[in-house]
This record gives sequence, C-alpha cells and structure tokens, in this order.
Amino acid sequence: MKYAYHPGNVAHSGSPEVAESMVPLVKSLGIELTYLDGATSCGAGIIRQVNQKLQLTLNARVFAQAESLGLGILTPCASTAGNLSEDLFLLKSNPILLAEINEVLLKTCGLKFTGDTSVNHLLHVIVDEIGLEKIKPMVVNPIDFRVASYYGPNIQQYGFCGDDDIYDPNYMEQLVQTLGGEPVSWDSRTQSVGAPSLLSEEPTVLKQAASVLNDAKSEGAQMIVSACNLSHSVLDIYQGKASQRTGLRTNIPVVHLCEILSFALGHYNTRYAQLRTRVLVIGD
Amino acid sequence: MSDSRSLLVLFGSQSGNAEALAAKFAKQASGYGLEAEVADMDGFDLTSLSGRKRVLIVCSTWGEGEQPDNAEELWIKASSAPSGLLDGVNFSVLALGDTSYELFCESGKEWDDKFEQLGATRLVARVDCDVDYDQISQEWAENALAAMAAVDGEGVFHEEMVLAIKESMTSGATGASGEDGFTVPEIKSESISAEISIFRYDPSTSTTGKDTWVCALPGHMSILDVLRTIKSTQDGSLTFRDGAVDDPTTAISINGRHVLPGNLRLESSAPLRNGGISISIEPLNGFEVIRDLAVEHWDLESKRESSKPWMSSVTRQGLNTPQGALGSMNPLIASKLHSMMDIHSYPILHASSDATAYSDDYYGPSIISQSWARRNDPRTAPSKKREIEQLLDSPSGIKAETDFSSIRRQGKGSFIHDALLDCKTSTLARDGFTGRHGKHVWWYTFTIKSSGRVNDSVLYRQVLGPIGLFGNLFSGVTSRMVLGFTRTGGNMINDMLALIAPPAGLGKMPRQFNSSIKNHHEVVAIYNEMDGRF
Ligand SMILES: Cc1cc2nc3c(=O)[nH]c(=O)nc-3n(C[C@H](O)[C@H](O)[C@H](O)COP(=O)(O)O)c2cc1C
Repeated sequence: MKYAYHPGNVAHSGSPEVAESMVPLVKSLGIELTYLDGATSCGAGIIRQVNQKLQLTLNARVFAQAESLGLGILTPCASTAGNLSEDLFLLKSNPILLAEINEVLLKTCGLKFTGDTSVNHLLHVIVDEIGLEKIKPMVVNPIDFRVASYYGPNIQQYGFCGDDDIYDPNYMEQLVQTLGGEPVSWDSRTQSVGAPSLLSEEPTVLKQAASVLNDAKSEGAQMIVSACNLSHSVLDIYQGKASQRTGLRTNIPVVHLCEILSFALGHYNTRYAQLRTRVLVIGD
Repeated sequence: MSDSRSLLVLFGSQSGNAEALAAKFAKQASGYGLEAEVADMDGFDLTSLSGRKRVLIVCSTWGEGEQPDNAEELWIKASSAPSGLLDGVNFSVLALGDTSYELFCESGKEWDDKFEQLGATRLVARVDCDVDYDQISQEWAENALAAMAAVDGEGVFHEEMVLAIKESMTSGATGASGEDGFTVPEIKSESISAEISIFRYDPSTSTTGKDTWVCALPGHMSILDVLRTIKSTQDGSLTFRDGAVDDPTTAISINGRHVLPGNLRLESSAPLRNGGISISIEPLNGFEVIRDLAVEHWDLESKRESSKPWMSSVTRQGLNTPQGALGSMNPLIASKLHSMMDIHSYPILHASSDATAYSDDYYGPSIISQSWARRNDPRTAPSKKREIEQLLDSPSGIKAETDFSSIRRQGKGSFIHDALLDCKTSTLARDGFTGRHGKHVWWYTFTIKSSGRVNDSVLYRQVLGPIGLFGNLFSGVTSRMVLGFTRTGGNMINDMLALIAPPAGLGKMPRQFNSSIKNHHEVVAIYNEMDGRF
C-alpha cells in the first residue's frame, strides 16, 4: 500500500507529535509513504479567504507532484484532508478553471495536473483499505479508556469521508473499540472548534472549544482522540483559557489519532505510560 | 421551482427521434405523479435549470460526434457555466446515436458529464441507444421516471422508495398521497428499530436533559410524524413546532444535520447499523430554546430587520440604462443570485454555521448571504451598496464566521459556502489587511510564501501582539504549548519561540525558523505570478 505523504499543516510546528508517531505507525500498518517534501501548507482555508486561485494553484502543484509519482495523497490531518479534497473537487469539476491554473503551473514550475490523484485521510485508509480485522491482532497495549472521538467538520462532507456517514460517523468509534477502548457517544464530535480563526476571533473560538470539551466530559469520556492536527492542538493548548472564559469544565487529555494508534500497536511505551497517568490525574 | 412535483424533459434532436421520445416519456410521467414539461434545447434558458429538482435529458448526436443543431447554443452556454449552478438538480440522460459512427452517442455523454460537473446529481446511469432504440429507451424511462418520482419536494432523493414505486407501476396499483404531495404507492415498509433520543429543556426549572425512546416504527414515517407519535402516545409534554412539511419554523437538528422533519423519512435519517438506527434530535443551534425542540425565531427576524433588507434600486433613482436596468442582468450573475436567494429555510441556513451559537452578535450565514447577494445585484444603488458593505465588514459581519467548512457540509451549503468566501475576500480587500483578521490572513499567507510552511511563532507574534502574548502567558496557553501538556512529546524548543522572540511591531520580521520546502522557488514564482500583495 503506497501513498504520497502530506503530514498536515502544523505537524512541523504546533503538533510535532503527530508527525513523529506517524513514522513507526505506518511501518506497523504496512503503508509505504513517499514524502512530498516539496509540498506547501494546504492553505488551512485561510489563503483561500484572501485569494482562492492562489490556494488552488499551490494545491494543484501538490497534486501534480503526487500525480507524477502515480500516487494518491495520505494525510493524518482532517483539516488538510478537507482543504485538499475541496480544491481537488473544484479542479476536477471545472475544466476551464483547471486549464487556467495549469497555465500558471506550467509557467512557474513546469508542472501540469490532469486530475489523476486522490486525497485520503488516514482514518479512511485504515477502515476502508486495511480493514479493522487486520488491526485487531496487532494491538499490544489496549487503550482501555472511555474515549470520545472527535472528527470536526472538515472531513465530514459529501465525498470526503470514505464510506462513513457524514452526520453520524462511526469509523473512529469502531477503531477505538478495535484498540480495546470504550467509545463514548456524544453530539459534538463533528462540530467545529473554529481552528481557522483561533487568532482572529478568539472569544468565539474559546466558547466553541469549551463546549466541545465539556460535552465529551459530560458524556463520561476520559480522553478525546482527534482526527485533526489543528483542532487537537486548539482543544489541548487552549483548554485552560477556554475554561476560564466560559466557566465550563474542560480539563481532559486530548491526543491525536496517530498517537493513540501507535501506542496501541506498541510504540512509545513511556509516552503511553505518561498519558495513562494524566488520564488518571487530570480526569475528575 | 414553483411546483413541487415538476419534471423537465429536455431534448436535443435534429430529425425528431429524441423529440418524439421526450414527448412520450413526459406523458408517461403523469402515471408517476409527476407534472412533466417538455422543452426544446433551442432557445432554452440555461439558468432556469438552477432550482429545478428533476430533469431528464434526451439527446442525439450528429455530424462527427457533434451536438444536434438545436442543442449547439445551449451547449456553449453550459460549457462556461459556473460549477454549482446545478446544485440540487437530479438528472438522468438518454443518448441517441448509431454505433456505426466512431463517436457513438458523444453528445449524450457530454451532457451527462456536464450536468455532473455543474453540481447535479445523477440518479440513473446514462443509457446509450443504437438505431434500434425502442425497448432500451423504454427501460431507461421506467428506471428514470421511478427515480424522479422518489425525489421529494425538497429535492431529496429517497432511494428506498424506488422499488416500491416500480412495483406499483407494474401491478397497476393506485397511488396514495404522501405527506409532501408525493403520489406514492401504499408502502408497507418494514418496521425498523429506532433509538430516538430527544433534547429536553424545561424553562420553569431551567433544566436540560435527554429522553430516549427505543421503538419499532415504519421506516417511511416522517420524523415529524415520529415526534407526533411520541407526543400522543408517550409524553404529552414533548414540545416541538408542528406545521406543514415545508414550514421553515419546524426545522430541527438530527445527528447534527439540519432538516425540515416533515421532509425526512425515519429510514433516511441515519445509517442502518446492526438492524436499527439511532438518532439524536436537538433544537436548531444558534437559536434560543423556548422549550425542548421549539426555538425562538424572533432573534433572526430582528437581525434581519436591522440589516435593512429592503431594496433601493438604481432605476428608482433615475439611473436608467439604455437596456432598461431592471431585468437586464447578466444571466450568470442572475443565476448565482437566484441560487443564493433560493433558500428553502432561512433558519436552517442560519444554523449551518457552528459559530452562530457562540458568537454574541454574528449576523449568521443566512443574513450575510442575502446581504451579499443584494450587494452584488446590479440593480442595487451605489449608496445602498456601500451601506451593505459596512454591515458585511462590521465585527458582526462575515469576520465573525470562524469556520466555513461547517457551512459547506450542510445540504445545499456548498453554494452558500462559496458565496460567503467571496464575501470575506471582498471584506479583507476593503480592510487592507488591518486588524486581527487582516493581519492573520496576511501573515499566514506570507509565511507560506517565505518557506512553504506556516510559521506558527511568527503568526502568533504578529497577530496577537505583545498584549495578546502576555494574555496567553497568564492563561496557561503558553505553558501548555511549551510543555505539550496533555499531548505527548511536543517540541519544546520550537514552541518556545512564541515566548522568547521579540514582540510584534518591533523591527523587521524575525528570521524564519522554518526550513524551506524543496523547490521553494516554485512557490515564490506562483505568488509573484498570482498575487503581488505578498
Ligand atoms: C449525418 C448524421 C450524422 C450522425 N452522426 C452520429 C455520430 O457521430 N454519432 C452517433 O452516435 N450517431 C450519429 N448519428 C445517428 C443519430 O444520432 C441517430 O440517427 C439519432 O437517432 C437521431 O436522432 P434525432 O432524430 O433526435 O436527431 C448521425 C446521423 C446522421 C444522419
């Protein structure tokens, strides 16, 4: 199983633990990754706000790189998966736009994109391509907690979430169960935490984050597992501030899907031990 | 469109075969409870397709794989139409041709692709007919008409109905009128087991909670009927807004999907798992809850009032153009505007943003998209346009939207999402990258040009400034960032940058600590080509 790898937007900075845990994880899963080391940020829905065609061209360049490798793209970040999928959809469905963008690509990079690649989130590759029955026997350290799975809104869109349901997803819950955990049922799992506006609309974003964190806690979760690098760092880094601003209880460990998977499959035992301690200490 | 059961049969034909078939299928359509209208592609207004729910296309191929003469003009228009024009349209194509030609049924194939590209949904796969087409075209018609009949007044396709509709056609059973004017056979749909949990709120005690019922109900029952049944047989105090199937005030949220409950069948409300379905019903978010599922719509109305939606047109001020200003709009602009205004339920649109419930004064996507449409309407007077821009640029305007993707995922949202994104672009351009929003977007975009990767530390410094950074220091944000608090193994040195680097506004931008991506010069070239502002 081979993919071109886009680590996501903040894997090199705000959430390095995602990039790190991907390395042993994909080895265990038998996925061979070719690093797209010339790939730019996906734009995070932000470049698009100022100049949509600029973001499209940057991402078309990434698509052209994957296409020349003959590979589909894999990313562990829901925000990146959503942003790339949106742009891929736009380019594939509008030949006039594609021709216009290709003109710039050719002139600036000598590249051309014909539409022959795909964008895949790690979660969907695991459930749809690898199969959970193959994961089960690999579990070394069960994640024996009550886990709330956070999807966010980016991948829960028509055509972006494999065979999972847009509004009532359960791929991550199935995965959590496979890893030995107890999935918590909660309503906020596809709700946005406003990550793209963290720095510009902080008061609203903190309320959004607090509401999601508090919902997970109220439903009895001991930790949140997120499919998105950006949201997981908002939910983690800002949880104290979110609580101060709203008065809601928000303290709960938040980790990324890649971390929890790599722990379950036997990597980073000391980190998992620390996490277990945190779950017991922080959870109340 | 005006009629909830209308079907358009559009034909492209040179020697009359496709035209005759179109007429025949239109006649058959009435047996499926559809009101069909046949239209020649010649002189047909492409933009009038937007907003339609059901369209069948019958088209032949001429020359060497070319469109028949009467379809030529429409095809050219379709080729430059904006994607999203046909969002919400359900369609199927019958292609006529002759296998002795190299480009067999090419025109039909082109229409099939084009409709999909423009956002329409193919309900039945295209069928390509050779010269002996009587039987095969009839088979297509039976499938296509049954599928079209299973599209309800909201444009939602109920796949599970198709078989029953076909069966009733072959057995000659008489149809019964369904809840949305649907003429469907009496369906003895199997009961399905459903776990229904409903949000409860009692204003007298200010208590909230959830009640859950596990029951077996007919799968084709509408959610509104489910609520009525629970109220009459289980709990008379359950409160929700009852009304006609298209009454926007009845809107609720099911597993986070915003719907009109009269229009959604139980069996289509959630995926079937382990032989049953499980749904969580909540009041529409972004509104004040009065009791249980009933929300207060007044707030949205008063916001709408304050956005002063009344039109002040250029013609009234005597700015008449030679063509006559009213009604002389560019058809593409007209169709975009039409799609923006053609919203079935403003409350649903308002709720589609996850920010509305948490922002104190955000107007929300419903009012913003309507204002943006008026701002772009060539009939709006310049002074009114400026007034609207002030509303859009205000802190309660488009800047208050924190995440566009939550809007895009709701039903017809992708069109509104695109429109709101345009709106934000225009606001940012007017603001000239000042304020937190402008700075955030500018620095984000700029750091990507600088190295190909986003530079968080630069972004934090530049956007938050010294005061914001101190705020983060004392609220625990910075320490969590540095320590990778609950995460595992954060890179301390990298994260420390936000803390130790010089505050914003002092001197030049600090050196980038990001390593540049491979072939970074290509990125710079793209920026230089596309946007000189960075
Ligand atoms: C001059 C001529 C050119 C044609 N070219 C094609 C063609 O390129 N590909 C094809 O599939 N059929 C071709 N056909 C077949 C027609 O599409 C077919 O006869 C069809 O039934 C005509 O339908 P209409 O009467 O609705 O136009 C051609 C027919 C004629 C007479």
